[in-house]
Amino acid sequence: MHIPDGYISPQTAGGLWAIMVPVWYTAAYKVKKVLKAKQAPLVAIGAAFTFVIMMFNVPVPGGTSGHAVGGTLVAVVLGPWAAIISVTVALVIQALFFGDGGIIAIGANCFNMAFVLPVSGYFIYRLLSAGAPASGARRWIGAGIGAYAGINLAAFMTAVEVGIQPGLFHAADGTPFYSPYGLSQTIPAMMLVHSTVIGFIELAVTSLAVLYLQRAHPGLLGGAAAPAPDAGGGFRLKPLIIGLLLMLIFVPLGLIASATAWGEWSPAEIRQRFGFVPEGMRRFAGIWRGILPGYGAQGGFWSSVPGYLVSGVVGVAIIGAITFLIVTFLSRRSGKSA
Amino acid sequence: MNDAIFDIKAVEYSYEDAVALAGVSFKVDPGESVALLGANGSGKSTLLMMLDGLVFPSRGSVSAFGEPLTEAALLDEGFSQAFRRRVGFVFQNSDAQLFSPNVLEEIAFGPLHLGLPPAEIDRRVNDTIHILGLDHLRERPPFHLSGGEKKKVALASVLAINPDVLLFDEPTAGLDPKTEAFLLQLIKEINRAGKTIITATQDLRIVPFLARRAVVLGEDHRVAGDGDALTVLADQDLLMAANLVHHHPHMHAGIEHLHPHSHVEGHDHHQG
Amino acid sequence: MPKPLSTAPAWMRGTGPATCACCRIGRTRKRSAVERTIQNLTRALKNSVFSEQVAARPGLLQKADPRAKTAGLLGLLLATAVIRQPLILLGMYAVTLAGAAASRLSLGFFIKRVWLFIPIFAGIIVAPSIFNVVKAGDPLVTIWNFGHEVHLGPWSLGDSVAITKQGLEGAAILILRVAVSVSLAVLLALTTRWSDLLKALRVFYVPRVFILTLSMTYRYIFLLLSLASDMFTARRSRMVGPSNPREDRHFAAASMGTLLGKSHSLSNEIYAAMVSRGYNGEPVALRRFRARTADWAVFAAAVVIALVAWGADRALG
Repeated sequence: MHIPDGYISPQTAGGLWAIMVPVWYTAAYKVKKVLKAKQAPLVAIGAAFTFVIMMFNVPVPGGTSGHAVGGTLVAVVLGPWAAIISVTVALVIQALFFGDGGIIAIGANCFNMAFVLPVSGYFIYRLLSAGAPASGARRWIGAGIGAYAGINLAAFMTAVEVGIQPGLFHAADGTPFYSPYGLSQTIPAMMLVHSTVIGFIELAVTSLAVLYLQRAHPGLLGGAAAPAPDAGGGFRLKPLIIGLLLMLIFVPLGLIASATAWGEWSPAEIRQRFGFVPEGMRRFAGIWRGILPGYGAQGGFWSSVPGYLVSGVVGVAIIGAITFLIVTFLSRRSGKSA
Repeated sequence: MNDAIFDIKAVEYSYEDAVALAGVSFKVDPGESVALLGANGSGKSTLLMMLDGLVFPSRGSVSAFGEPLTEAALLDEGFSQAFRRRVGFVFQNSDAQLFSPNVLEEIAFGPLHLGLPPAEIDRRVNDTIHILGLDHLRERPPFHLSGGEKKKVALASVLAINPDVLLFDEPTAGLDPKTEAFLLQLIKEINRAGKTIITATQDLRIVPFLARRAVVLGEDHRVAGDGDALTVLADQDLLMAANLVHHHPHMHAGIEHLHPHSHVEGHDHHQG
Repeated sequence: MPKPLSTAPAWMRGTGPATCACCRIGRTRKRSAVERTIQNLTRALKNSVFSEQVAARPGLLQKADPRAKTAGLLGLLLATAVIRQPLILLGMYAVTLAGAAASRLSLGFFIKRVWLFIPIFAGIIVAPSIFNVVKAGDPLVTIWNFGHEVHLGPWSLGDSVAITKQGLEGAAILILRVAVSVSLAVLLALTTRWSDLLKALRVFYVPRVFILTLSMTYRYIFLLLSLASDMFTARRSRMVGPSNPREDRHFAAASMGTLLGKSHSLSNEIYAAMVSRGYNGEPVALRRFRARTADWAVFAAAVVIALVAWGADRALG
């Protein structure tokens, strides 16, 4: 699921960096407040742990094997905010030192695997294990289901990011500049592998690890490692998740709905589809032409399509950032009144 | 005796599942070299952590340099920095102590975070590297070091702070004989230079080399004995009660027999 | 007190039958998941030892200030991301080869290290897209002409199978872009000590706590790697007969749990060791870099190459 550099455009990558920067700062702020000086060693070891388990080969029925990400497991033990930082740190080291995943694509890879995966996995775990004792069966079942859902959601995001490339960035004759496959190809490909194989690896490994922790280190599940995220942080996470889900549903589903086969449109089809670009959007696109002059090269209609879509991506980034700020603000207020 | 470095009064401490200390009292004077003896789980590591202000007693009190050593006192930036400059801790697990990307940064970490001026940091880092013979390892990351080298770097990282008191937790565990001898000699010299040394160990063999006084923690997590190191080491009943010696089979002249195992002094093989 | 040696049960005394050729039954095990994991773990450990050795060689990039080098490579990486002409990407690739040669890396090794896996993988992934069946385009080479429109269920496959101009060009752009990007990343990783790279990140306004965390993560990855490697090696030495996927899965999960437990107590110890030496949550940086003119020359060269490549790309396109 690590996107290398070259598969996605710098614009897409930049948009995801724009989403991740406020996420990282919020996570750093939350973690520092809760763990204080202890954050550096705890988060660092969490990241090293994630890194190492990505190397564990897990056999899959049928004879092959794959590896887990462990993001949900780290979130269950350290809390979601610390998990965001831990997985980010692991991904940054993989990109910089081991060439696993691109450097410009760090924003995208972190969005998928360090944000969507642990946060959604943790939320589902909290939902399913609410009120269950540290040793209860709902803990490991919830963690497993959360892990399965989390990795599939992350795979879906990856498929969307890669799949929108040919529609957004191609030459006049249709030559793709980045990944050539459209959403109609990337989404089935990614989801097939993740919903049938890799998702179950993540599920099995997370459930078994939680089961093991229940027996050997029950203290780690009681939230001893991250007292406040488990007590208050879990609740505060709710509005954040809702915002995230709205974003996920509206943006990519909107794209899919309008694109039966995004990558395979003929210019005539695009004209048909985007002939009614709203006036406001057209003006917005003009601004983008100014910032990204390369897009104006062919002039006329062609310049407005990428501009429109790039502004869409940046728009999503801005919406994400604003949602975040509002959620942070509200949760801080509710935290005070509680 | 108001000028004691540490004054420990009836301290108690428990972990979630086990008692570590159950009413321990003793004092340490400046310049002393004390061996803290006890079997596994007797609470000696916890006691060292307490002397370094890393854990705090649930009952009883610890004062350091005449001031109470509490969690609240250490929150004060000034007190905390002064205390950390005066007390250094060499942990048993060198891997936990060496967290920096290379040897140079590891040794500079303490002086840097204790607010020493840059020129002084450079001087101390270079001097300690020289004293411990680590010149060729300067840029080496910690995972490329041997066990003995790790221990030396850990010691260097504490010596660079130049503390008045040095706490050692099982300093010789897992070391090769050559490094062990080097380390014991160095600890002795540091003590001669006027520093106070407190060493927690269960290796009775090394006690005569590095301590003049021995404090024994018993199985009941209290002080079982306190006095001159050689006198304590000669008290077989005390050591046996504290689980520090055991009977072990021994061969001589072709006859297998059991005798108390203390590794301290030679015993007359022709008596048994 | 009974003598300890006499307490051993009868089955423990003596030694088992010696292993000999007659014990072989001619059945060898398939490489199991446990073995693959051990291989992954040792490869990562070896990798780091090798990188430290390369970073110590006296080459062009090794000598450059890490900030100048990181910023320069980032500029080249960005240029690579926006360039759309295969020829110019090829030129960029030549630049990375020159950089590797000037940094005393054997070219054979460098090319192998870059191409193995990631760009080859990219090639496999884009391969289908060069055919008109998968992605519409102007046919360049027709492989098979059906003569009439062929239908596969509800899908139309068109009347011929052909390699398209767009597909071929798109594939070339993707593979080259991936290869240049990976080459740049490998150059940075191989010629820079990890501790220097971390210092360089400070220039990019990465918070200090984040850098400290990164540095500690990297350091402890190797401790956890060897812990994990020990667990898996111990497991392998106890394995008799064919490996059982179910057991292997349980073992992987149990190892993860054990590792997590150990990691947690380790982090507590590290925290104590840091606090003991004056850490209070605010990391202090060691020293500033003294950049020389030569360092800035490396940076300037990188920026010029990036701009020239970008300009040429726009002029051609």
